[in-house]
Amino acid sequence: MYQFNFQPVFGNLDLLLYGAWLTVRLSLMAMVLGLVVSVLGAVAKTSGIRPLRWLTDVYVEVIRNTPFLVQIFFIFFGLPAAGISMSPNTAALVALVVNVGAYGTEIIRAGIESIPRGQIEAGRALGLSPVQIFRHVVMVPALRNIYPSLTSQFIYLMLTSSVVSIISANDLASAGADLNARTFASFEIYLVLTILYFLLALGFSTLFGAIRRVFFTYPASR
Amino acid sequence: MKLNRRIFTALAAGALAMGLALPASAADLDAIKNAGTVRVGMLVDFPPFGIQDASGKPDGYDADVAKALGEFLGVQAQIVPVTGPNRIPYLLSGQVDVLVASLGITEERAEKVDFSKPYAGISIAVYGDSGLEIAAPEALAGQSLAVARASTQDTGVSAVAPQGTDIRRFDDDASAVQALMSGQVRLIGLSNVVFSQVSTVAGDRFDKKFDLSSQVQGIAVAPGSDALLDQVNAFVDQAKSDGTLDQIHQKWLGEPLPDFVKNAQ
Repeated sequence: MYQFNFQPVFGNLDLLLYGAWLTVRLSLMAMVLGLVVSVLGAVAKTSGIRPLRWLTDVYVEVIRNTPFLVQIFFIFFGLPAAGISMSPNTAALVALVVNVGAYGTEIIRAGIESIPRGQIEAGRALGLSPVQIFRHVVMVPALRNIYPSLTSQFIYLMLTSSVVSIISANDLASAGADLNARTFASFEIYLVLTILYFLLALGFSTLFGAIRRVFFTYPASR
Repeated sequence: MKLNRRIFTALAAGALAMGLALPASAADLDAIKNAGTVRVGMLVDFPPFGIQDASGKPDGYDADVAKALGEFLGVQAQIVPVTGPNRIPYLLSGQVDVLVASLGITEERAEKVDFSKPYAGISIAVYGDSGLEIAAPEALAGQSLAVARASTQDTGVSAVAPQGTDIRRFDDDASAVQALMSGQVRLIGLSNVVFSQVSTVAGDRFDKKFDLSSQVQGIAVAPGSDALLDQVNAFVDQAKSDGTLDQIHQKWLGEPLPDFVKNAQ
């Protein structure tokens, strides 16, 4: 009979909590930078400039049709051959941003394309500047439309970040693996890890809900 | 990896206990000479020491040593494949006369079998960029070093590395080696066996910095086979001095027999 022993977990809870903090930090940075990449990608894709559109197409298709595992290996182990060498934690962040940027580009492009042309023309008729039109008439309504897809992509990003330990980057999963290597309480450790990841996902989900209420509700219903 | 090793250790311990229950049957040198064959137990799943060649025949460092032992005794070496857990029971039950099975010399095992002088060894060491001056663990501070998580080298490095050593833990030796080759780390904790494979790819880009631990392996005979053990020891001495072991070691591990094996008693 298997004897449960949670002592190794609770005795080292500080290690796991620190790992959880690293995962939160890594994910948050990847989300913010990934959002920037996504918006730029979506703008490039919907712009009339052809070479820019082709370039974005190649980026999106390559990333969306290859495994994340291969992408992160390529960035960490492959790029040094081209003289680009990053620390494991930086490489993990870059890989996550590049990955989520491709999915985000498609999501936001869909949002932008959901804005009827007439709405943009209405903005022009009101005498708004192109920047004002882009911000208030296109981007905010677009984000409002695709907000659920984008945030679930972000939560998926946080869960995906659990594989970054394969390039020896530090996060919650690597903290668990290190603890497991020392104590062999695999089941207990991964059970607690599962709960922590679930709580993190729940936390992000709550955060996204709050952001939505503040920034993306219709002015009339505020 | 560590778990596998534990299972392996548990199995080996079980096998030892079984071996204890069996009556040890000593091998008789005259019987071997009369039969014209010596039955040698060896592993076939432990590259590069014991492997199977393309036609399924046992090959590797141990196979070459077994053949040389047969020649020394003036008989044919008949190789019997054994596994890690069952190799000692095979010997003690008289199904093989000797083990050339990468059997690490430990005190526990020495109570069950009689070991010859060491004929091979595995060492764990820190390797790194040839240009880097690292002679002792103290010099590791500020350096990045890759190891396979929870491996013997992880334990070894973690025990001696000073504060400020950037130990990067990867899932296996292959990823750790990849990190070294791509320049993401400048040092690595590795066994000489794996390092010999790295050297075949990387040439002299990397060299050994300092040893962490080593384990020597002996040829084993059943207790009471003193005449045979004398002959095996004579064989090991001769093979060390006439370069036979150097040659075999060069063939399979890319360097002559290491000094820690030559000098060990």
